[in-house]
Amino acid sequence: MNDVLDVALRLLVVFVVFLTFPLIIGQTEHKVMAHMQGRLGPMYAGGFHGWAQLVADGVKFAQKEDVVPAGADRRIFQLAPAVALLPYLLVLLAIPIGPGEGAVGEVVDAGIFFVLAVMGVGVLGSLMAGWASANKFSLLGGLRTAAQLLAYELPMLLTAASVAMAAGTVSIPGILDAFEWWWLPWQIVGAIVFFVAGLAELQRPPFDMPVADSEIIFGAYTEYTGLRFALFLLAEYAGIVVLCGLTTVLFLGGWHGPWGADGLGWVWTLLKTAVLAFIVIWLRVTYPRLREDQLQKFSWTLLVPLSLAQIALTGIVKVVIQ
Amino acid sequence: MSSASTVLTSAAGETHGFLSPTGVEIAFLLVGLVTFGAALVTVTTKQLVHAALWLVVALGGLAVEYLLLTAEFIAWVQVLIYVGSVVVLLLFGLMLTRAPIGRSPDADSGNRWAALLVAVAAAAALVWVVVDAFRTTWIDLDGPAAGSTEATGASLFQNWVLPFEALSVLLLAALVGAIVLSRKTKAEMSSPPVNSRTATKSSRPVTESSQSVPGARTNPAEQEGAS
Amino acid sequence: MAPFPGSGLAKGLAVTLRTMTRKTVTEQYPDVQPDLPPRTRGVIGLFEENCTVCMLCARECPDWCIYIDSHKETVPAAAPGGRERSRNVLDRFAIDFSLCMYCGICIEVCPFDALFWSPEFEYAETDIRDLTHERDKLRDWMWTVPAPPALDPAAEEPKEIAAARKTAEKLAAAQAEATPEPARSPKPAQSPEPAQEPPPAPSAESTPPAPPAPKPAPKPQEGDA
Repeated sequence: MNDVLDVALRLLVVFVVFLTFPLIIGQTEHKVMAHMQGRLGPMYAGGFHGWAQLVADGVKFAQKEDVVPAGADRRIFQLAPAVALLPYLLVLLAIPIGPGEGAVGEVVDAGIFFVLAVMGVGVLGSLMAGWASANKFSLLGGLRTAAQLLAYELPMLLTAASVAMAAGTVSIPGILDAFEWWWLPWQIVGAIVFFVAGLAELQRPPFDMPVADSEIIFGAYTEYTGLRFALFLLAEYAGIVVLCGLTTVLFLGGWHGPWGADGLGWVWTLLKTAVLAFIVIWLRVTYPRLREDQLQKFSWTLLVPLSLAQIALTGIVKVVIQ
Repeated sequence: MSSASTVLTSAAGETHGFLSPTGVEIAFLLVGLVTFGAALVTVTTKQLVHAALWLVVALGGLAVEYLLLTAEFIAWVQVLIYVGSVVVLLLFGLMLTRAPIGRSPDADSGNRWAALLVAVAAAAALVWVVVDAFRTTWIDLDGPAAGSTEATGASLFQNWVLPFEALSVLLLAALVGAIVLSRKTKAEMSSPPVNSRTATKSSRPVTESSQSVPGARTNPAEQEGAS
Repeated sequence: MAPFPGSGLAKGLAVTLRTMTRKTVTEQYPDVQPDLPPRTRGVIGLFEENCTVCMLCARECPDWCIYIDSHKETVPAAAPGGRERSRNVLDRFAIDFSLCMYCGICIEVCPFDALFWSPEFEYAETDIRDLTHERDKLRDWMWTVPAPPALDPAAEEPKEIAAARKTAEKLAAAQAEATPEPARSPKPAQSPEPAQEPPPAPSAESTPPAPPAPKPAPKPQEGDA
């Protein structure tokens, strides 16, 4: 009985995090982006500096009509948002926030593989949406999504493998237990490659060709309205949470901090995640969108060799240490 | 699949009755049925993209089966490679070539019966081999996980090092080949213009490659633009 | 230019970060009224004392949104034995702001400065007919017209003031010649000084009369003088 309660509590906490953190990041994006452009951003909803803007957006989306185009493949069209969103919920389960068994939703033995595998599945949602909309722009968006995923899955995997090599385990809490501060300079190239490849997989600017609004309207999501559209947006922001959390946990040492590691580990994790999320927003505001061929070239000629070099470095250092 | 089952043969139990199934066994059977059904739909449906999506269900079902057998590592790798990459590649190819919404009337090759025959024969051979190999071996699921990453790694690098290394060399060759191919097209782009579009691209003094291969430029106008 | 690869990227990041720490330029309009400069094209005010019903504005208006009605009156002779004069009296002056495109031509062409830009812009209506502002409303807008901005420090003096000063100086010179001794000094005074609102009048009687109500340039009166 106690076990059941424990599991239920953990699931509830993860679910609440899943629902709130993306909104917090979305609101931060509103505000940070506005100030970086010399604006104020939302100021009305909720009274104080528009804190409830995304809640208001959610209410608006819920009121909108749910339209399915006449020529669309109905079932797949309606299923796609769930396929896009649910994987991120599952990934959140495996990200530890503090030391010990109590601070992770579910200890997964092959944590890295679980996380990367499930994140890859989320892209299927965009593909399904792109194809099932019966819209040429959606199809183009879906194609770009797929091409981007194929290009960026590899460097992500390779750099994650580098960390796993360094730690000698593929379990995420295990990696964190083995973490030392000098891993930071050791794995810094891998961290950058992982983060950039993750951005590309999430289709965040400057890698947002699949939704490039000036070229293909909104890519795979062009035909979506109402709640289903909101779910796609939520998936994007949940993806930011997951990517930042993963980078924190794999490369930045998660709950390890210069001081106060005991009991305050979760603060460190959240702080690092928040800083990374800020960087995601910052990059979006600063850089223009890459072209599709530039993106592919960037991945295959820069990120993949860099991640291979990182693996080689990791291997050499590992052997030398032992 | 066979490699997974060889990993899992560690524990052999005493006699197990068929009429006292545990929850895991029931789940295994149900997921197996779903996987089988999805696989059947995959090969019989006339909607191409639906076939690919049903393939996702079938492959995901297989992953769940691995999980139920405590082969966690294999399960996640299955999802990562097959659902995450192979199906995406498949869908990419389908969408790029032809993927009408609705039925494709020409999705039937006409070799329906031959295909069925081959499939049944292959399935029979596999079932026969597996049944003959393991007979009444039972896997003790309650003990230490036989398919954990550690167990899989140990088995892989103690018993199967040579095939593993051969495979990895093959994959590395493919990877390096992909990089070389993309580099090569880039080098061609910065050489004298093949058509007008590449000419405009190469005349911009932006990419680092344009500096690295100055000898390839013979067009004086381009050199002027690059300086 | 670039000392190391990627310095341009870093520069971009620095720009956005710097902007974030600066004050925003957003005007929170309904809560805070915008601080609009004079001559902002908000609404057109009519100073009807200056209007002579010459109809230039109505004729030049590209979309014909100005309506003017008038009649003639005869004014009795000012001096005994003089001739009676006729004068145009304004009956109706209306601007249809649903047609107006805010080009400002009417204000430009008005020879007697009877029309002015006012920065007021909150006159939306639920009925399009209410956007035709009649004479009284246009007169009310007149009281919202701000003073024109000050001239640039090195700017040329306004023509009207220059003309007024010249006459004043001429008059002063004539007076000085008439009474030889005392008035020698005011002549060279302040001529190089650039732009002062009222010309420094050495003799009070020669200055033009102050314009009646609004602050804008007192052209017509000076033309008369």
